[in-house]
Amino acid sequence: MKLTEILSPERVVSGAAVTSKKKALEELSNLLATGAANLGNGEVFNSLTGREKLGSTGLGHGVAIPHGRVAGVDRSVGAFMRVKHPVDYDSHDGNPVDLIFGLLVPQTATEAHLKHLAAVAEMFSDDAFCSKLRAAQDSASLYALLSGYTPSR
Amino acid sequence: MDFTHQIIFLAGVLFMTSILATVITPRLGVPLLLVFLVVGMLAGEDGPGHVEFHDFGLANLAATAALSVVLFDGGLRTKLAMFRVGLWPAISLSTVGVLVTAGITGWVASWLLDLSLAEGLLIGAIVGSTDAAAVFSLLHTSAVRLNERVTSILEIESGVNDPMAVFLTLAVMQYLLAPADYSALDSLLLFVRQMGLGALIGIGGGRALVWALNRLDLSESLYPLLAFFGGLLIFGITGILHGSGFLAAYLAGLVVGNQRTRAFAGILRFHDGVAWMAQIGMFVGLGLLVTPTALVPIMGQGLLVAAALILVARPAAVVLSLLPFRLPLREQAFMSWVGLRGSVPIVLATFPWLAGMENAAVYFNIAFFIVLVSLVVQGWTLAPAARILRLQLPSQGALVNRLDFDLPGTRGYEIVSYRIGESSSLIGLKSRQLPLDDISRIVCLARRGKIISYREWGTLRAGDYISLLASQDELPKLDEMFQSTVAPKIAAAEQRFYGEFRIDPNAEVQLLVDCYGVNLPETALEKSVGAFFSSVVPRPVVGDRLRLGEMELVIKRMDAQRIAEIWLRLPH
Repeated sequence: MKLTEILSPERVVSGAAVTSKKKALEELSNLLATGAANLGNGEVFNSLTGREKLGSTGLGHGVAIPHGRVAGVDRSVGAFMRVKHPVDYDSHDGNPVDLIFGLLVPQTATEAHLKHLAAVAEMFSDDAFCSKLRAAQDSASLYALLSGYTPSR
Repeated sequence: MDFTHQIIFLAGVLFMTSILATVITPRLGVPLLLVFLVVGMLAGEDGPGHVEFHDFGLANLAATAALSVVLFDGGLRTKLAMFRVGLWPAISLSTVGVLVTAGITGWVASWLLDLSLAEGLLIGAIVGSTDAAAVFSLLHTSAVRLNERVTSILEIESGVNDPMAVFLTLAVMQYLLAPADYSALDSLLLFVRQMGLGALIGIGGGRALVWALNRLDLSESLYPLLAFFGGLLIFGITGILHGSGFLAAYLAGLVVGNQRTRAFAGILRFHDGVAWMAQIGMFVGLGLLVTPTALVPIMGQGLLVAAALILVARPAAVVLSLLPFRLPLREQAFMSWVGLRGSVPIVLATFPWLAGMENAAVYFNIAFFIVLVSLVVQGWTLAPAARILRLQLPSQGALVNRLDFDLPGTRGYEIVSYRIGESSSLIGLKSRQLPLDDISRIVCLARRGKIISYREWGTLRAGDYISLLASQDELPKLDEMFQSTVAPKIAAAEQRFYGEFRIDPNAEVQLLVDCYGVNLPETALEKSVGAFFSSVVPRPVVGDRLRLGEMELVIKRMDAQRIAEIWLRLPH
């Protein structure tokens, strides 16, 4: 999978200032909604928080991948934000989260959904890559890093 | 005088060689017991040692005593909690399984060796049980971490099936010695007597032993000896009354090991040493006893009987006796492969010799050869087999370095010391940030070889030794805490195995369906994820997985009977 298929430069944001997990998800929902014409940010937010009820989507070491299935998009939509101050995300390792990748997939495409999700999780499990994301200057260089990612193995 | 010196010298040389061998062999992956056996064979008449040893009576006495010690020690170390998943499958394997193994192997042996069916069955019975010493030591010393179900079934089986093999051997021997007036009723009576007395005296004797340990005021060093000779006494009484001493010794160990007992840490440490000595002595002795050149003529037949045992009899026994438990196929395949034979068959093979039976030499040599093959082939390939069958759990990384001290005047409390590993997640924490319960407290902290005053503790560092006063019930929790690591390599391996996202076991299954669109029956939707898992996989253990379309739910942690952590593994 190429990340550019689901991500666009305007949905990659550096330095969003949020104070809680809920605020972070709201902010992320707004971003995701810009990529889905038929969807309001409220629906996106409900889908993401619905998934969080099943267990935190925190991956550990400061990364979270909130995701959800919604009617009203016909392809996967991704968004990424790096928040200014890490927020408590209820992750299994207890670390607060500063790198958040959101993923929305169409109601119908369950298998593609999982493939995308697995690819994103794989990418963010790479510690060296996460360090680069944390060191990046601005939104543009974040997008360059994300779209240019090639697995190290 | 000279003879005495020579014997003591010989014992010293043999034990020293065996002990030194334990340093080298784990790196080669050779089963240690095989090494001990080979040390004995090398010292024997055909090896460079040239020691002539043919005293079957003495060998039988020594090996039987050693076995009872190993079984008592095995019982001491078996936690009753293991019985939750392993007990019934293990009992089925130890009874039905041994019967099937002995039957098939016996039939093949009678045919290949041109013996009567009963004589063949005697060979089958002799090699019918898996070896406690071999299985315990391989499961604990090899670098393989298997799931709790496999470990507990194999361990309990190896502890409980020896009595069955002994019973079968005795029954077939009684028949062979007096075929005319032997009936099925006799063997039934023998069975009831062996197992009944074994269980009764084992459990009763174990209780009495616990009582004695806790009531008697002895010098500290005598408690381990009290337990040790208590175990031997229980074995002896049961044997004299024609019960199964092996069963009694194992059960007595089990009772003592699962009660709060004074000086328990000392008892365990003492028995660890004695069990090692018993194993070395037993295998070296049996290696001495055999005449290796006598094995050469029977090699061809021996290999075929061993092949029948390993490739046909054991798998058939496993599949048949585990039929009611519906275990995963991969686990059954592994258990079929790990039917390790050890000292028991060799000891049992001395029985016909002592009874002066006709083909005693054949039984002994064939049994010895089968054990050799089993140790070489199965012992050596245990770790690869677990890997190929994908039964290995990710290792927990830094081994806990735990030292126990008894606390005089109390029961159930110990002082334990842990070393803070290089990648411990506790580094940087202050001592009061450690999640300890009311009773547990830090006794002292040693850094760079010195005990540090309380005011200078500061935060924990790698290489610190921390000693705590703790109740025995707390120990598993403490173990877990002190082995928690943040090493990235381990985290990556765990993620590959358990999955990416932690799922709340109490969340509703409906949520899973909403979020991932998996197809599940209507009746499952209202359940919690944990309850749903248990309904599909009864008595789950860590590492159990449940397929949901392309994804898997994987159990990462159990809290006694309750599922504590479930993870979601995405397709890769």
